Amino acid sequence: MSSEKKTSAKRIQTRTNILVHLILAILAVIWLFPVVWVVLTSFRAEKGSYVSSFLTKSFTLDNYIKLFTDTSILNFPQMFLNTLFIAICSCVLSAFFLLSASYCLSRLRFKLRKPYMNMAMILGLFPGFMSMVAVYFILKAVGLTEGNNVRFALILCYSGGAALGFQITKGFFDTIPMALDEAALLDGCTRWQIFTKITLPLSKPIVIYTILTSFIGPWVDFIFAKVICRANSDQYTVAIGLWRMLEKEYIDNWYTSFAAGAVLISIPIAILFLKLQKYYVNGMAGAVKG
Amino acid sequence: MRKKLLCMLTALLALALVLTGCGSTEGAQGSAEKVRLMVWSPSEDQSKDSGEWLQTCCEQFAQLHPEWDITFVYGVADEATAASTVSQDPSASADVFLFANDTLTTLTDAGALAKIGGKYADEILATNSAALTDSLTLDDYLYGVPFTTNTWFMYYDKSVFSEEDVKNLDTMLEKGVVSFPFTNSWYLPAFYFGNGCTLFGDGTQEELGADFGGENAVEVTNYLIDLYNNPNFVVDADGSGMAGLRDGSINAIFTGSWDAASIQEILGDNMGVAALPTYTLNGEQKQMYAYAGSKAIGVNSHSKYMVQAIQLAIYLGSAEAQQLHYELRNVIPCNTELLADPAIAGDELVAAQNDTFDSTSVLQPFVASMNNCWTPVENLGKGIRNGTITHENAAEQTAAMNDAMNSNGIS
Repeated sequence: MSSEKKTSAKRIQTRTNILVHLILAILAVIWLFPVVWVVLTSFRAEKGSYVSSFLTKSFTLDNYIKLFTDTSILNFPQMFLNTLFIAICSCVLSAFFLLSASYCLSRLRFKLRKPYMNMAMILGLFPGFMSMVAVYFILKAVGLTEGNNVRFALILCYSGGAALGFQITKGFFDTIPMALDEAALLDGCTRWQIFTKITLPLSKPIVIYTILTSFIGPWVDFIFAKVICRANSDQYTVAIGLWRMLEKEYIDNWYTSFAAGAVLISIPIAILFLKLQKYYVNGMAGAVKG
Repeated sequence: MRKKLLCMLTALLALALVLTGCGSTEGAQGSAEKVRLMVWSPSEDQSKDSGEWLQTCCEQFAQLHPEWDITFVYGVADEATAASTVSQDPSASADVFLFANDTLTTLTDAGALAKIGGKYADEILATNSAALTDSLTLDDYLYGVPFTTNTWFMYYDKSVFSEEDVKNLDTMLEKGVVSFPFTNSWYLPAFYFGNGCTLFGDGTQEELGADFGGENAVEVTNYLIDLYNNPNFVVDADGSGMAGLRDGSINAIFTGSWDAASIQEILGDNMGVAALPTYTLNGEQKQMYAYAGSKAIGVNSHSKYMVQAIQLAIYLGSAEAQQLHYELRNVIPCNTELLADPAIAGDELVAAQNDTFDSTSVLQPFVASMNNCWTPVENLGKGIRNGTITHENAAEQTAAMNDAMNSNGIS
């Protein structure tokens, strides 16, 4: 009797498992559908923006080759390097700003601490591109909207506001016991040494999380790049380049290369994510457990 | 020792100052006025593969004017989007740029476009058709130097249709498969214009509003429903027409000169180009009319070197520059003297575009209320495709479209 009950319970469990996995599988297929399609399109040999079948009929690498060799109209390699440079610089800068600001707000006590946090909270409620036009005119007044200065201007744009997004990182730093800092202070550490030698090594997950988010921001941004680059085609970032490939004059010739470009720009992000994935999840949890 | 060194240094500095001083005064006497002109064009006009039209023309212009020492700064902005880029900040934009005439009001509203008058205007008026200069005229002022017309027409497969067939859409539908951008409001009004519908009177009388209602418009809607249901008719959307042409399932499509190279590659010698056909409505032949516009060279009203900028614009729009543009990039010329040239007049593409512009097109209105006219027409096309607009409700749906075109959606 009892063993019969057990099997039926087991059976129910298997049944639920099958059902759950089936739903998950369907969801996974739906989720992967567009990704697979973009990858397939990037290898498609038939030209044009429209195909009547989902699966491509013949495959080729030409789309990728065209992206890197046909540089007279849309210089993709240049755009890729521009974006990489801007993204790496602003990633380093904004990660530094963000971590420093969070450390100060978590560990130091000063008069403007509360007002600063309130202000950051309120400013954070507004979308960044609201100030876009003002930012453009300020940059123009300083002379940063022409030639190679555009790159510098974009780095400033992407990293300048980083210190406002401290909430998650500060929360993480708050979970590291104060006693550690105090012990270090007694041993003669400076604040900077505590930050670099104690707090940062203990907060690897959140450092990685910060680096990831501050790399992806500039890597995929379109609006600021469009407003600031204007007619400086040698300063275009990948996002602008890909957008231009879909204009009516280019779309028929460039559509498959557009898909190839989309695959290529997702590679650096994918690598970063795969390498740093385990930290990414930990980053949300807290530093010292137990 | 130290004093001596200081002395020598001062002397050297003084000498250097005198020398450079001399140098600069000498330069001012001998050489020309320094001019810095920023020029924006689409990237194809500047790429090596298509012959660097812009650079070539600018250098020739500099040679024609030895009295100026011109430094050119090139930037990329294509005709369709130049207006938004320039109006974002006219004072930091190109002195001379290329723009499409449907963005004229964007530019004038931003105060970014210089008026062209006097002998320059006379020269333009003398070498271009009136319809073309009208497309760049606002409140009796001319705002640009036209260099090409901008419209759409028909490409067809010569092995399927004869020259006689392509004169009527319904004849074509009996012989082959025709694709039309049915859900695109830049194309669909062609049928309505054919049956007496108008937009803003002659295109500039904003107070008259859109006239896409009434019995004649309902007839067209009914025709469109039948057209959509014709087995030989395919809706062209998201590039499906071009794909169909490529795999042979479609024999004629409607698009503009920007697709000419791709179609030439697909059809080869069988590529036929023609102005818009007529269609048969209740036994009568009705002509389709395309929206037409122009592309022009504009001068920034904030330019520091106005004289040079206007002269450069005139030069870039001259017959010589248009000829080069045609040879390098197949940009169809509009200069009347150039069009008389048999070598150019014999080109099918040129003929089709200009025939369309001259006789089967209406000037695309650029009054502000025009913005309300795009979505309702697109929705009508989509409604027919979805089957929500049928012969039963065609009358009320057409009236609804007309109401929407005459309202900004707020009041």
